Amino acid sequence: MKLRFWGVRGSIPAPGPDTNRYGGNTSCVSVTTARGELVILDMGTGLMHLGNHLLTTPFGKGQGQATILLSHAHWDHIQGLGFFAPVFIPGNRFVLRGHGRSSSMLEGILEGQMNPNFSPLYTLKNLGAAFDVRAVVPGVPFTVADGVQVTARPNPHGTTTALAFRLEEAGRSFVYASDAGYPAEGPSPEMLELYRGADALLHDTTYTPADQADRQARGFSSYEQAADAAIAAGARRLIAFHYDQDYTDADVDALTVGCRAYLDGHGGAAIELVAAAEGNQLEI
Amino acid sequence: MKVRFWGVRGSIPVPGPSTNRYGGNTSCVEVRPRGGWPIIIDAGTGIRRLGQTLMDERFGDGSGTAHILISHTHWDHIQGMPFFSPLYRAGNRVNVFARQRGDTHLQAVFASQTEDPYFPVPLTALKASIEFHELVEGNRFEIDGTMVTCTRLNHPWIAMAYRLDCDGASVVYCSDTAPFTDLLLEHEFIKTPPSVGAPLPPTVAKQLATMRASLVALCKGADLLIYDTQFTVDEYQLRPHWGHSTPDDAIAIAREAGVKTLCLFHHAPLRTDDAQDAILLAARWTARQHGCAFDVIAAYEGMSITLGDDDGVGPGGRPGVAP
Repeated sequence: MKLRFWGVRGSIPAPGPDTNRYGGNTSCVSVTTARGELVILDMGTGLMHLGNHLLTTPFGKGQGQATILLSHAHWDHIQGLGFFAPVFIPGNRFVLRGHGRSSSMLEGILEGQMNPNFSPLYTLKNLGAAFDVRAVVPGVPFTVADGVQVTARPNPHGTTTALAFRLEEAGRSFVYASDAGYPAEGPSPEMLELYRGADALLHDTTYTPADQADRQARGFSSYEQAADAAIAAGARRLIAFHYDQDYTDADVDALTVGCRAYLDGHGGAAIELVAAAEGNQLEI
Repeated sequence: MKVRFWGVRGSIPVPGPSTNRYGGNTSCVEVRPRGGWPIIIDAGTGIRRLGQTLMDERFGDGSGTAHILISHTHWDHIQGMPFFSPLYRAGNRVNVFARQRGDTHLQAVFASQTEDPYFPVPLTALKASIEFHELVEGNRFEIDGTMVTCTRLNHPWIAMAYRLDCDGASVVYCSDTAPFTDLLLEHEFIKTPPSVGAPLPPTVAKQLATMRASLVALCKGADLLIYDTQFTVDEYQLRPHWGHSTPDDAIAIAREAGVKTLCLFHHAPLRTDDAQDAILLAARWTARQHGCAFDVIAAYEGMSITLGDDDGVGPGGRPGVAP
């Protein structure tokens, strides 16, 4: 699996010279499987740039297909969909898997952002590409992209929940756990099982511990909570992700240094730490 | 009055090094009458930083009043609203003005922006006192001594242009609009782009001419005209149904209305700073070719312009070319 980061920011895009290095686009990560299939995690504004990149591939000719895994429907995780160029090209096919009490309710949520009060697109059905929207059942594995096994489970996230996804291919595992607001006791045993032994655990590190303590109700993790989860689950690599919109590149540098020191001091010295930055790629 | 630009981009915010000079935030302009409360036009992502600076004023202790004029509720014009800090402080008063169609109330549209599952904080949980005011084109009303007038634009669904007169000066905000050659107004979805330049039915041609004449009248003699110039001429030919104009369209309106300064605005998301520089230079050349008396500038984040007789100075700083 090859990862590429298209958007690493939380809540709202943060343009400006202060965010050039890590990037200001909201959440979007692509995974290219060993067979060259595409899996997309979340549809923040980074999705627009992934889409433009895909125009030189079969997606540009209406011959592409991809799976989109949606953690939850907060704006910063869906706002790139209407700007994702491949959806306007007939012939492209997308399977979207996310949280919903039913598949039709999940589709209705995506329709909501196309409402004519908000968007000239009006409805998903006006997009040229075909969409197959399906709600996932937590804990029940399913297969996507010709051989990648995916398991999803919900994390608490403020007033709602956000799905974390574990992707496994040929004995390698990648976990995407953005937007996680744990109770005081930390992640549930089921979540730790989902994270267990991951070759890479991408985890919400929205805040420093001090900022997180001030804003607990928002349902995000500090880098210490992310590190604790990585240590408890025995992850090999921790990917810091979903930085607060007000954090400058220097703030994220400091967050990374703090996270490294915390890992080293709490039994996680062997865990490799990577701070996600727009445009960076990572082989698992 | 002072006019300050907090977001100048159209469609979607675009962070990254290629937009550092003009800025990547979506539409938000602050008009500050001398000694008065802010009148904010549009609530794209640029309003987040404006809100943070307002918290350093009386909004921080909950005794501020802000007025927000919304051109229309497409995402790029309202997506910053949930991140406008003064809304989260009890005691602040925020008045939101916009046009709305008969089938939904403005408040319901804004409520659905932040309802579950899209955003964690619903409209009803905001602590400031928020009042919604629905407008119709042609309305004329006063906000603390500033006269506000408005007219309809040619954009899918709804969009309004606003003129603000105060301190002996005037500014017009005209975003988003297509040129007045094909009717987009009220259309919910335009499947097939209109054929550019094709003859129009007489009733449609008359409606467009009336809309255009009303806009020219609104802009008459304005000190500053902020105009949607998202497209180049070639881009417009490909997407005439998206509801955006070119600098040529803006120059034509500015000439007829006799404005003093034309400000290019609502830059295309993928327009790099260098490309925007070139568009500005080309627009200045076009204006000169037509013998226009006005300046042409391009909006960038942080640009501040002082207008009116309070200090007698025209555009401040180095207007137009982003630093």
